[in-house]
Amino acid sequence: MRSIRAIFIKQAKDMFKNPMVLIMFIIFPAVSLIMTELVAKSNDDIPNNMFVTMMAAIFAGMALITSMSGIIAEDIERGSLRLLVMAGVKPHQYLFGTGGFILLMGIVVSVIFTLIGDFTNTEIIKFLTVMVMSTAASIILGASIGIIAKNQQAATAIGMPFAVILGFTPMVAGFNKTVEKAASILYTQQMNVIVNDFSANFNKAMLVMGINIAVLLVLFIIIFRKRGLKV
Amino acid sequence: MIKMNGVIKRFGKNTVLTDVSFEVKKQEIFGLLGPSGAGKTTIINILTNQLNADGGNYETGASSFETGLMLDNDGLFPRLSCADNLNVFADIYNIPRKKSMEALKNVGLGEAAKKSVNNLSKGMRQRLALARAILHNPKILFLDEPTSGLDPATARGIHKLILELREKGATVFLTTHNMDEAVKLCDKVSLLHKGKIIEQGAPDEICRRYDSVKTVPDLESVFIKLTGVELE
Repeated sequence: MRSIRAIFIKQAKDMFKNPMVLIMFIIFPAVSLIMTELVAKSNDDIPNNMFVTMMAAIFAGMALITSMSGIIAEDIERGSLRLLVMAGVKPHQYLFGTGGFILLMGIVVSVIFTLIGDFTNTEIIKFLTVMVMSTAASIILGASIGIIAKNQQAATAIGMPFAVILGFTPMVAGFNKTVEKAASILYTQQMNVIVNDFSANFNKAMLVMGINIAVLLVLFIIIFRKRGLKV
Repeated sequence: MIKMNGVIKRFGKNTVLTDVSFEVKKQEIFGLLGPSGAGKTTIINILTNQLNADGGNYETGASSFETGLMLDNDGLFPRLSCADNLNVFADIYNIPRKKSMEALKNVGLGEAAKKSVNNLSKGMRQRLALARAILHNPKILFLDEPTSGLDPATARGIHKLILELREKGATVFLTTHNMDEAVKLCDKVSLLHKGKIIEQGAPDEICRRYDSVKTVPDLESVFIKLTGVELE
């Protein structure tokens, strides 16, 4: 627990000095706030929460994958992870500490989204639930990419296609039925379905998201066993 | 305290260490000397359990908590301050954070405690890496090229620190390709060439053996005599 806490604190201090990661957690709620206030609220044809739900889907898909993979790849590349492990930090403690902090940041940003949007209490609970599920899935995927990547540049190169597919597919699915059908297996699409229509089948969305997390977890375990943390 | 006996290491078909044996006694400063690619870092990696040997045996007589490491790659957190870099490890080792400040003062970085690592010179980074290695008062210190690329004044500062650490009871295992550094610091050295130990003993003893004592013992000419290879 001591090591997890130390990594968590290190991550917290580091993130606020790392503009590349920090911007990911600021830009999406900021854009949704600006667009909601300037466009949605002054235009009756646009639903009040349209920009909140759109930015939330992109945030869950893009920001969390790239930040998690980037942090791990940087610590491996700089040799910091090697020293942490030599000091007695177990790989799973490192991953819990780092992932735990990203999860907390994901929850904070999700709460900010609910403050920007116009939701009832039940909708807030559903919104936060799907956001936490999506955050967890993206953290696991990001960790796998961070382990595979040889350095930060490689982490961005590998992570970006995943981030774009997961972040933007729900948006495209809104305009194309074939894409919508294909995207229904993705956790970000299920999240998008719920946050755009809180009366949609919540249990089905939870099931698909749960399966996504299970599959990503299995994938992560396979990659971790094969590659370890390359210390 | 540190023992290696007949250690062999291969990477694929390439044998990088052949029958490496040596012994380091408690409170000794031991130098592993050789050019880049000789296998020095591989030996440190094996002794610190980062790599497994393919043959032979070895022991350090110390747990990972009792071991301090300063590696070729400093592994510092670049955006954190000097103090925060050490505090991460103080928390992991479960020692009071005030020890971080003491370690910084010991390496002459007390004034730079709040400075971000990104704003440090190479010499200051090396000293910070050394502070991290000694933070928990380890029994054994592994220093991989501790003064590589440093100006003479900073290197002298690090030499002084290494000698003080030995006085305080630490056993120091260092690698270097700087023969003068080895003569100045080490009680015992092993000369490593292409993964084999080609000579070992006290620096002045080795130099006498090869008639290379001028005004000061000249290990570099011994190495050239033995291998025909100049150190970079």
